[in-house]
Amino acid sequence: MRSLPEVLEDWEAVIGLEVHTELTTLDTKMFCNCRLSHDDEPNANVCPVCLGLPGALPVPNRRAIQSIVMAGLATNCQIMRRSMFYRKHYFYPDMAKNFQTTQGPVAFCMHGHLDLEVAGEHARERPRREGGAPDDRTLPIVRAEDGSYVAPIRILRIHMEEDAAKMVHAGGAEGRIAGANESFIDYNRCGTPLIELVTEPDLRTPEEARLFMEKLRQTFLALGISDCSLESGSMRCDGNVSLRRRGETRLGTKTEMKNINSFKSLHDALEYEICRQAEVLEEGGVVFQETRHWEPARRRTVVMRVKETADDYRLFPDPDLAPFDLSDAFVEEARSRIPELPDAKRDRFVTTLGLKRPDAAQIAGDPATAALFERALDLAGEKTAGTLANVVVNLLPAYASVSASQAASVARLLAADAISFAQAREVLEAVDGSGRDPEAVVDERGLRQSTDEGTLRPVVDVVLERCPDQVRQYRDGNAKVLGFLVGQCMKASKAAGVKGNPKLFNQLLRGRLEA
Amino acid sequence: MALSTEDVAGIADYARIALDAQELEEMTAYLNDAVRLLEPIRAYGLKGVDPTYHPIGDLSNVMGRDVVDASERALPLDDALRNAGSVEGRYFRVPSILGDGEGDR
Amino acid sequence: MASLDELSCAQIARGVAAGDFSAVEVAQASLSAIEAREPAVRALLQVTAELALAAAGATDERRARGEALGPLAGVPTAFKDNMHLVGTRTTCASRMLEGYESVFTASCVQRMIDAGATPMAKANMDEFAFGSSTETSAFHPTANPWDLERVPGGSSGGSAAAVAAGEVTLSLGSDTGGSIRQPASLCGVVGLKPSYGLVSRYGVVAFGSSLDQVGPFGRRVEDVALAMDALVGPGRDPFDSTSQDCRADFLESLEDSIEGMTVGVVPELLEVKGLTDEVRQAVGRARSALEGQGANVVEVSLPNIASSIAAYYVIAPCEAFSNLARFDGVRYGYQEPGCATLAEQSSLSRAHGFGEEAKRRQMLGAYLLSSGVYDQYYYPAQQVRTLITQDYARAFARCDVILMPASPRTAFRFGEISDPLQMYASDMFTISSNIAGNGAVSVPLGLGRDTGLPVSAQLQGPAFEDRRLLTFARALERAVDAGGGLGKGAPVAPGCAGRGGEL
Repeated sequence: MRSLPEVLEDWEAVIGLEVHTELTTLDTKMFCNCRLSHDDEPNANVCPVCLGLPGALPVPNRRAIQSIVMAGLATNCQIMRRSMFYRKHYFYPDMAKNFQTTQGPVAFCMHGHLDLEVAGEHARERPRREGGAPDDRTLPIVRAEDGSYVAPIRILRIHMEEDAAKMVHAGGAEGRIAGANESFIDYNRCGTPLIELVTEPDLRTPEEARLFMEKLRQTFLALGISDCSLESGSMRCDGNVSLRRRGETRLGTKTEMKNINSFKSLHDALEYEICRQAEVLEEGGVVFQETRHWEPARRRTVVMRVKETADDYRLFPDPDLAPFDLSDAFVEEARSRIPELPDAKRDRFVTTLGLKRPDAAQIAGDPATAALFERALDLAGEKTAGTLANVVVNLLPAYASVSASQAASVARLLAADAISFAQAREVLEAVDGSGRDPEAVVDERGLRQSTDEGTLRPVVDVVLERCPDQVRQYRDGNAKVLGFLVGQCMKASKAAGVKGNPKLFNQLLRGRLEA
Repeated sequence: MALSTEDVAGIADYARIALDAQELEEMTAYLNDAVRLLEPIRAYGLKGVDPTYHPIGDLSNVMGRDVVDASERALPLDDALRNAGSVEGRYFRVPSILGDGEGDR
Repeated sequence: MASLDELSCAQIARGVAAGDFSAVEVAQASLSAIEAREPAVRALLQVTAELALAAAGATDERRARGEALGPLAGVPTAFKDNMHLVGTRTTCASRMLEGYESVFTASCVQRMIDAGATPMAKANMDEFAFGSSTETSAFHPTANPWDLERVPGGSSGGSAAAVAAGEVTLSLGSDTGGSIRQPASLCGVVGLKPSYGLVSRYGVVAFGSSLDQVGPFGRRVEDVALAMDALVGPGRDPFDSTSQDCRADFLESLEDSIEGMTVGVVPELLEVKGLTDEVRQAVGRARSALEGQGANVVEVSLPNIASSIAAYYVIAPCEAFSNLARFDGVRYGYQEPGCATLAEQSSLSRAHGFGEEAKRRQMLGAYLLSSGVYDQYYYPAQQVRTLITQDYARAFARCDVILMPASPRTAFRFGEISDPLQMYASDMFTISSNIAGNGAVSVPLGLGRDTGLPVSAQLQGPAFEDRRLLTFARALERAVDAGGGLGKGAPVAPGCAGRGGEL
């Protein structure tokens, strides 16, 4: 198979995503008051409603509706005031009623978008001229001189539904359903509030798909509506992709990818599938509309089932659930619960704190990191913002548990040139998880560097006197020798019982040598 | 257009109701008769008439609180499994799902 | 020495509260009536003697402790077997649920018990409430206490027959297209289908979720009023999204005068094919009786009511298919043994667990909901529902209640109606109020001139004006009482009266 960049020279990939997110931060299920299960024993959190017992009736969880409205507002969706729950029928025992309560043609949230920023080599993967005739709702892509671009990815809808039970398959290989001779059902997860987001097929590269998922995850995490774990399955993504020749307007036949449980899987599965389809098409073959299973270990997709006819789910409005006609007050209450979202936070960090954009984006993207940064900033002061961002982005990920006050303290020490970046690591290592004060560690270990010129100037004088050869070399244009001289100053100062700051020595040496 | 026995067999398959040949004939006759009874529905001029899915007037936005109920309605395991035909430990049990040649979902 | 046959709910509750007799004695009287009458009538699927005596014992203990007793204290009550009650089996008269043990109690049942009622039995019904004769019960038919060769009507035939036979004083049924009013009519008892949303459906096995409504049977309008106060008194049920608040003043307004109020009649409904002369005459007598008490009569029209049966047989089977999809033999219900695959197990469990009519209705629903067909039937049926609802709104702008027949004829013989589509016509007068969701009551008018079997009239009212329905029902009852021969309220069927039931 050819590589992705090669394939994308000739072919345009049209990608859409369906993302299911469990509202794990709620206390109870979608239509009953059972506790949301995390690691409970099988069938520990069930009641007549979520077990689908005859005679049971659903009552929608208000906070779940509020959460999906928040999700819609945060993704620029139109909040549909009038909508209903529908019943979607299929016989499968993970659905206790053999129908899923979901939404019909009108979802709570419709027609939104998320803007993706794509830069660097990945930016070249998207064709400059799009194949598809833009419909009246297609949003324009903005390209910069360097090829980087901002692509608004449209969201068709976000609807509310309930999750299915978990099944354990026995007797087959690796717990897979294929080959199993019996299966066991645990209804703990059945009825967990689930929101399904469907994008328009606006994505063109695996990297865009990955970025979209990442951005969606950051947004939902910031909203606090889910723990958004791809690994544990509280956030699940199906990708569909079809190919068409560059310049072609008609869509090709798409395949759907399942079992995507990491951002990398999403990227790699789409990459594999794009290259596979290109190979099939280039050999004159036909792509079948089918569902494919991503096997991360073998880095390939395999057929799960071929869709010959569209499924007929016998959808109709659920008579047990009153329709919705959301009030202004309800929507405004949801809006008021939306915190500052990652993009706005990033922009604020850049404009008011002067952070570098990538650092700002990385900190703003993760609510826990952003919270730590902002708490530490309060303690350390805005002047240290750049240093603090450096600490948060480049140092903290290596440590398990560093508090905001510890981070602030380290940033202050760095900003005052009292320790070096390398020493900062040593200090963090010592205080990680302990609650100890970094200042105390610095003093205890004698790490604090002097920045007092009066103390350091005589040391410089002595070293210059001792090293005439190097002084001459420097003046002859060998700037590298400065490092040796700084080292000599450090040694000499240490011998004299102080710790000189290398940056300051550097400055003083230059001043003398270039005078 | 009348339903054929093939049509009815397809519906029975979907609805998970096994019918033998004679039952299929009878069911086909019944469905065709029943559908004839419904013809008045198709004879109506209904342009611009909103459907009434819920005979509840203006009642809307009925929601409940996100508060755990661990006692009133929560079912102890033995009640949850009480009426099940096959169980295994704490689980409900079903026979092979793919044995029928159907695909995964 | 009293007989349970002669006592109203209020008399029983007063007697228990006053210590004239204990709730346990009342329960025992009911059990003795059941023992004596049930072999012929077969209204019940399960007699819950232990549960009854325990509940009655608890009522007596409350009295002994000086606590206030509920308005239904000690009243022997039966529940249709689609209503959950912990400690009983809830079978819906189906092999599918033979032996199904309830693990929770329906809100309506709990409210009756909370008001002091003694749960005596689970009553027979058409399987999953699909029918108008109780003949589709998988276990046994029920006989009409007025003529054991005839059906009690259905689907709540057991609930109606148990009250008509005097085995219990009150019962609950459910009404999706007439399943309370038609058996009430055939058994000569009062049966109220309340407005949709008035009584909680939580814990009642669903047939047509937008049509089902639970209501009481009694031999007196007053008994039905007391039951309604118990059912709606605690307010809307938070477990049923479609349940709404309603004032519990049924008893309070029972004896209100109807003078100056307006009764609507629909002339074309009295010309419908299949309506027998004796029923038409009985409805005519009811009209005179109401006029005699000062009500005005106006003609109103319900132009779309003729399409009710068609709309109903779209909506109800679709909802039934959906509601019964859950019976796949996995979590509960009949499970076909020895199946190698899940699909086989589901299909055979459903084929062998459900009776013919249950399968027919589900197949019809599965067809009508399929893509392409949905737009031709389901959607327009719900539009027709809007027209029928508007017809009622226009009519009720001009009258307080509408008077019409409940059943086109008196009780028919077992097996007399074997064509399912002909059976569907039994509900021609009742179905429209399920479609529109308004309340309706069947009131016994004595015996028909031709068949000598109970005849009745139906009163329909605007949604949530059910209290007014009972005021008019009581007015009819007064007229029947005054007309002589029937005593206070409807009598226990003569073949049953006096056999057991001594207190």
